Amino acid sequence: MASRKKVLLKVIILGDSSVGKTSLMNQYVNRKFSNQYKATIGADFLTKEVTVDDRSVTMQIWDTAGQERFQSLGVAFYRGADCCVLVFDVTAPNTFKSLDSWRDEFLIQASPREPENFPFVLLGNKVDLEPRAISSKRAQQWCQMKNNIPYFETSAKEGLNVEQAFLAIAKNALAQQNSTVDLYNEFPDQIKLTNTNKPNSNGDSCAC
Amino acid sequence: MDYELPTEFDIIIIGTGVIESIISAAASRIGKRVLHIDSNNYYGGLWASFNLDAIQKLATVEETLNEGLGNTFFNVKNFEIEWHIPSETPPESTEWSRQSLLKESRRFNLDLAPKLQFARGDFVELLISSNIARYSEYRSVSRVLTWLNGQLETVPCSRSDVFANNKVTVIEKRMLMKLFLALDSGEEDYHNYENKTFRAFLTDKKLTPNLIHYVLYAIAMCTDDTPCLQGIKNTKRFLDSLGRFGKTPFLFSMYGSGEITQAFCRLSAVFGGIYALNQPLKGLILNGDNFEGITCGTQEIKAGVLVMGAEKAPPHFIKQHPKSSIARAILITDKSIMESEKEHLTLLLYPPEGGKNSCVVLELGCLTGTCPKDLFVVHLISRQVEGPQNDFKHIIGNLFGPEKANILWSCYFSIPDSNDLDLTVETPKNVTLCPGPDLDLDYDDAVRKAKAMFTDIFPDCEFLPRAPDPEEIIIEGETSDQDNVELKAESAKTEE
Repeated sequence: MASRKKVLLKVIILGDSSVGKTSLMNQYVNRKFSNQYKATIGADFLTKEVTVDDRSVTMQIWDTAGQERFQSLGVAFYRGADCCVLVFDVTAPNTFKSLDSWRDEFLIQASPREPENFPFVLLGNKVDLEPRAISSKRAQQWCQMKNNIPYFETSAKEGLNVEQAFLAIAKNALAQQNSTVDLYNEFPDQIKLTNTNKPNSNGDSCAC
Repeated sequence: MDYELPTEFDIIIIGTGVIESIISAAASRIGKRVLHIDSNNYYGGLWASFNLDAIQKLATVEETLNEGLGNTFFNVKNFEIEWHIPSETPPESTEWSRQSLLKESRRFNLDLAPKLQFARGDFVELLISSNIARYSEYRSVSRVLTWLNGQLETVPCSRSDVFANNKVTVIEKRMLMKLFLALDSGEEDYHNYENKTFRAFLTDKKLTPNLIHYVLYAIAMCTDDTPCLQGIKNTKRFLDSLGRFGKTPFLFSMYGSGEITQAFCRLSAVFGGIYALNQPLKGLILNGDNFEGITCGTQEIKAGVLVMGAEKAPPHFIKQHPKSSIARAILITDKSIMESEKEHLTLLLYPPEGGKNSCVVLELGCLTGTCPKDLFVVHLISRQVEGPQNDFKHIIGNLFGPEKANILWSCYFSIPDSNDLDLTVETPKNVTLCPGPDLDLDYDDAVRKAKAMFTDIFPDCEFLPRAPDPEEIIIEGETSDQDNVELKAESAKTEE
């Protein structure tokens, strides 16, 4: 392990509209669920502290904010993702069919250094609903074809498997970061704008 | 997946340039129903960034007009792309080839309109106060250079710079510090200089020719004719932004300036704005002098207000055609213009020379996320005189060539400047046109314009109040079928 410094993992959730991306996030981070369908409003990103193999990790989970609805997610959304979570609705076959294009879109836009090893996790959501259109077997077959993507069947409504799925997401993202230390440090010293007047270390804070 | 757009909005915004995107974010933020739509399949319009492959394709479509809405007055013109390396090299070769560069295409983020931000400028303050800063990262410009007496020189911007600079004599150091101090304290009296130039002021201060060069052309970014008070204002602005985020007053957004529009669009989307790129925009629905909606494909979409990029407007909306252009060049090079142990993010302020205007040169290394390792992207930006090729010839001749950095790929173009034009539309009244990129180094003027347009459309509404942090969004109610998700953010946005 390269260092013990605080780890921030950026996780993005992709999938068709209304498969439950925002609900999964909310269930995981806030343990809340709403049955009322609403195109994503107010969902931005949520953070959660998790412990993975004795390491404290901050997971930042980014919602599409509804920009996927008319295929209008910009490249900025994909920057620096450590893990990509693909979601489909087990009762809606079209959302399963879209998975290939979501995965391809991610690989094109995020262009990770090692696309074949980039961590994806697949979630088949809404298992509390009937009738089921996509069997576990079918989903698992798809995952096998894509270099053994981990697969979880979840219900954001009942909180089923959500905790386990996100823990696996954190683990995979972390493993990825550890195996590519270079990648982690690809862009050191980035500046996050905050409302501080941080004095310059060289004593340049005053111009005169 | 949805294919049909909703058909009723408070405001439709066509085009995803910087001003349009700021207005979109501001309107969504106060609870307006926003449709933000673009015929392009990318964000940013004339402010966009492209990868290497995409910018080359752009060159071939520039003269074609979008079917339906739009005009050609503001199209990017004079596009010329040239490769300066062989298309292929032997497998064992370490030299770059066209093929190996294109293989890295997606590592490039090439801005049509590259911008820097003043660390204490209005734009940075807006990003922070609105909480939009969380959608992007920045790098500090690490050195400011100028071209003086036939070579590149580092401009001393701060106290430590002034003292570390061995080209500046002790007496000059004292002069410069005295000037900075006087400008900073505001005690200086400029009464006699109201009708004089900044150069005259600096000359009267008995600054040496070299110091005048540094202050006039680099720090104040002036010409010989700039009025004194403007020069003073510019210098103060430069000094005010020092020491906040880095060694120079300037910040550059990671992955290129094209990210900026996407940050504002993201906020708009988070607050309910509907986003649709790549849309078949057919026309506007007008009723006398009133805009009522747009036709998109086979759909009619209604809204009370329309905001659109000038380049998206029907030709008869455009009262004045562009009179001047921004000359641009983008180069991919194999070395820095001024080599150094660590990678620099360089701003070179090239003074006016031989009838050519002053030029902003921005050199970006791989740490900015705009090009692959071991390469640099160089942007040249100037007020066009003859055309980009001729306007930059002397600069490129001085900075590149044998023994210096080599140019691997070059791209020249002109962007018509729509900022000095009257873009008001006589009729309909509920339509606002937004200008495209300006010649400014930064976005502060774009922010001012966006805010003025927003206030005009939505009087008495707050402009981009702070967006809540995700942790502040509280979801009320427990799991039940009749659950209501009440987001604090939502209630916040309805309080106008």
